[in-house]
Amino acid sequence: MIDPAWVSGLSALLFVIGLAGAFTRKNAIIVLMCIELMLNAANMQFAAAAVHHGDTTGWVYTIFAIAIAASEVAIGLAIFLAMYGQHESITLDDVNVLKN
Amino acid sequence: MAGTGSSEIVHSTAAQYAPYILLLPMLAFPVILFLGKMYNGNKMWKETLKEGGLIALPVMGASLALSLWLISDFIGAYGGVKELSDWTWFTSSMWNSGVVTTEITFGFGVHIDHITVMLLFIASFLCLLINTFAIGYMNTDPINDNRNHRFYAEFVLFCSGMLGMVLADSFLWLFIFWELMGLCSYLLIGFYYERPSAAYAAKKAFLTTRVGDVFLMVGLAVLWDLFGSLDYAVVFNEYNIDKVAASNPGTLAWALGLMFIGAVGKSAQFPLHVWLPDAMEGPTPVSALIHAATMVNAGLYLVARMFPFFGAESMHGELADLAFIIAAIGGTTAVMAAAIAFVQHDLKKVLAYSTMSQLAYIFTGLGAALYLANTLHWHEYLVDGTKNPDYYVNHAIVIVAFGAALFHLFNHAMAKGMLFMASGAVIHEVHHAHHHLHPHDDHHHEEDPKELLMLANYLMETGQSVFGFFNSIDLDQSGEVDTYEFQKALKDANIADLPPWEMQALMKALDMDGNGRINVPELELTLGRVHLASLAGDDDHHDHHDEFDAQSMENMGGLASKMPLTATAMLVGSLSIMGFPLIGGFWSKEGIIANTWRVALEDPRFFYPALCVLLGAGMTGFYMSRMWLKTFAGSPKTDVAAHVHPTNTWIKTPLFILTFVSLAGVIFASMGFTHWAPDIEYGLMSDHGGLWGGFLYEMEHVFANEKMFFFILTYVALFIGAVVGPGLALSLYGGKLDAGEEAKPWFGPVLALNAAIKGRYHWDNSAFGKSGFATALENRLYFDHYYDMAMLKIVAAFSNKAAEADSSVIDGTVKTVERTSQQLSTSIRSLTTGSARDYILMAALGTLVLFGLIWGVVA
Repeated sequence: MIDPAWVSGLSALLFVIGLAGAFTRKNAIIVLMCIELMLNAANMQFAAAAVHHGDTTGWVYTIFAIAIAASEVAIGLAIFLAMYGQHESITLDDVNVLKN
Repeated sequence: MAGTGSSEIVHSTAAQYAPYILLLPMLAFPVILFLGKMYNGNKMWKETLKEGGLIALPVMGASLALSLWLISDFIGAYGGVKELSDWTWFTSSMWNSGVVTTEITFGFGVHIDHITVMLLFIASFLCLLINTFAIGYMNTDPINDNRNHRFYAEFVLFCSGMLGMVLADSFLWLFIFWELMGLCSYLLIGFYYERPSAAYAAKKAFLTTRVGDVFLMVGLAVLWDLFGSLDYAVVFNEYNIDKVAASNPGTLAWALGLMFIGAVGKSAQFPLHVWLPDAMEGPTPVSALIHAATMVNAGLYLVARMFPFFGAESMHGELADLAFIIAAIGGTTAVMAAAIAFVQHDLKKVLAYSTMSQLAYIFTGLGAALYLANTLHWHEYLVDGTKNPDYYVNHAIVIVAFGAALFHLFNHAMAKGMLFMASGAVIHEVHHAHHHLHPHDDHHHEEDPKELLMLANYLMETGQSVFGFFNSIDLDQSGEVDTYEFQKALKDANIADLPPWEMQALMKALDMDGNGRINVPELELTLGRVHLASLAGDDDHHDHHDEFDAQSMENMGGLASKMPLTATAMLVGSLSIMGFPLIGGFWSKEGIIANTWRVALEDPRFFYPALCVLLGAGMTGFYMSRMWLKTFAGSPKTDVAAHVHPTNTWIKTPLFILTFVSLAGVIFASMGFTHWAPDIEYGLMSDHGGLWGGFLYEMEHVFANEKMFFFILTYVALFIGAVVGPGLALSLYGGKLDAGEEAKPWFGPVLALNAAIKGRYHWDNSAFGKSGFATALENRLYFDHYYDMAMLKIVAAFSNKAAEADSSVIDGTVKTVERTSQQLSTSIRSLTTGSARDYILMAALGTLVLFGLIWGVVA
């Protein structure tokens, strides 16, 4: 049995990697993947906490979060498709219609 | 009439129908208007229904019939009918104001007393006759085609306004109908609204009377504050008047004074008289309506309505100053208006000033009567309840003084209605004769506008080609010039600055293909043609622009043989206004002069109005005679006047009827009209033993007064008014008719006298005509000038200041708020970069801050 503290540490590492990726990458799909990474980090934290406390509530949250992440990915990809239709690009720097 | 207890309420069937007197015309208003809109130009609408004229006619006829029924009921009841029907609109709770506690009820009721009856007859009778006249006048003039429905609709609304005002049973409704008339006068004076002068006159009439109306409204508010109601039943209640008189009689005097200013505006008295002469811009039936049947009588009616306040024993002596002011304003206007009438050349303008002057007579008469009512003890019982020893003498004096003023209102309305209709007939026929003789004037609009010639000359002088000029004015470079561009071009070239509606004619002259815009060939061809025409026919051109004035007496003369009935009507009307013995206005005018002098003997201040009315009698004799002689006697002054024909039946009928009404003045006087006043206990023909007895009484009273002073005064007034004034006019104007012209036998004496006096005593008055005084009179004593100046100096200056304050304070505040919020939003807006990464960063930072906050709270 792995110590939940290790799992928490891995989760924090994953979250920071995801955050850094979301900040720095230009490609929208990679940014989306980074966001998924952060979500997974959160899931992992839930799982670690569930094991640590011996309580199934954390597992339930994890399953909900996975379902939400799936729908989020679907919406995100749909947005990128629409974005490509309008701007012929999914590079984030090319799109700033909300400016001002 | 409140006051003495002689009147009792009699339930009359006629009174139940009284509201229909005003409701019928009021309902006819939308009917005529909408039918006119729907069937405009329709043959049947135009010829069978006279564009609404024959809808209005039966309606006015029904109004007159109902009025006569009501009047006969009233006279049968010997003045005992009052407030017969009352329709409550809404009732409010008890209202405690001043000293009188009442329940406020707003409703419409009918109040009938002697004053109502007199005015009701005048209004409904004259409205019907003027309607008849209008069918002959308006519908035969092509200029009115397809818009007469507007005239008839506004006409019936005007009539219903007057009838409603007369019948109303409270000052509130009086005011409402008063304003309705104000509106209709605006609409009708501005009937030819496409003429700038008519639009100006309409605005002037509306705004000038509005000045008076503001005072009237304030006066009514004060009256409301004193009595807690404006219903005649409350304010004329003797008990209530006593209470108010005991607490604050001065305030009541102020209320009445303010209401009087409203009357001054409506009845065109000095200093609010300026609108009346300009009101001649409306069609002639409107002039007759305003001057005889409705509008100007409203002011007199209001003053006459105040009688119960003046007559109340408890107000004894409190209102004498106000009565003097009324008489003094009347006296001033009487002389001033008569003097201005001396130099007018426009037939209708003479009549307008004559109206002003005669209304002033009535005001003077009312002032004297109200003074007498206020200062004499004329009630049966004194305040302390004892029997009044002077009751019979004083009562008769007050009644006769008031009756004279009211009777003059009647006589003047009848005579002036007739005079205006007769003048309308003259103008109508002179106009037609002019068109007959100079038919080319009909094509006036097809002539080349002078602006085009000026434009052609402008191009020649500046050496521009038409094409170059066209390109420079075609602002949007569309290849065609529209109205706006052309207007701007004319303005820039200093040729003319025309309003858009006048540009239409100009555009039409240029626009050959009718697409509403001008192109180069159109401009080139037209300008060339205009220029050629100007070179060829320079002399011819000027004649065309010489406007013929069908209203100027300088273009008339010798019409007595051409229009016998009109000339007769005009003669009788003039004699009635002049106060020629036994005819119409004589009875009332003598009464007014005598009563003003009677007051002057009591109160020396009244010598001013007394002298004014005496002098005015002579002036009236002069200007009325001058008008008749210049129009109907002598030889025709233009070829147009020589070709005038008699007029049509629609116009003749009312003239014929009114001639007899004016001639019948002696019968009316014998019937007892000279003392037709509130508070008499008898009806008509019951005072002095029937018609014959009344006749003998009146004759004796006027011509052989037992008091030496009044005996002499009568003959002095007669000498001045019927000999000196007309004599001067006879020596200056008119003359024999042309040889071969046959006149009716009754003109014989007048024309013979005229020829004899003019032949013997004629002198040259051109020196006076050139004098500064005559110029001042022609300029209406510069009243308009100074009013305009005052408006510019005071009102315009105030408006400028107000505009400044508006832009700096009110707009300033709003704008500062707007500017600040805009700056704020600009700076906040710069946060939204549109870059997704920045948003992620912000979300992350936000989360961090949230964490920090929660950490802080928890720890």
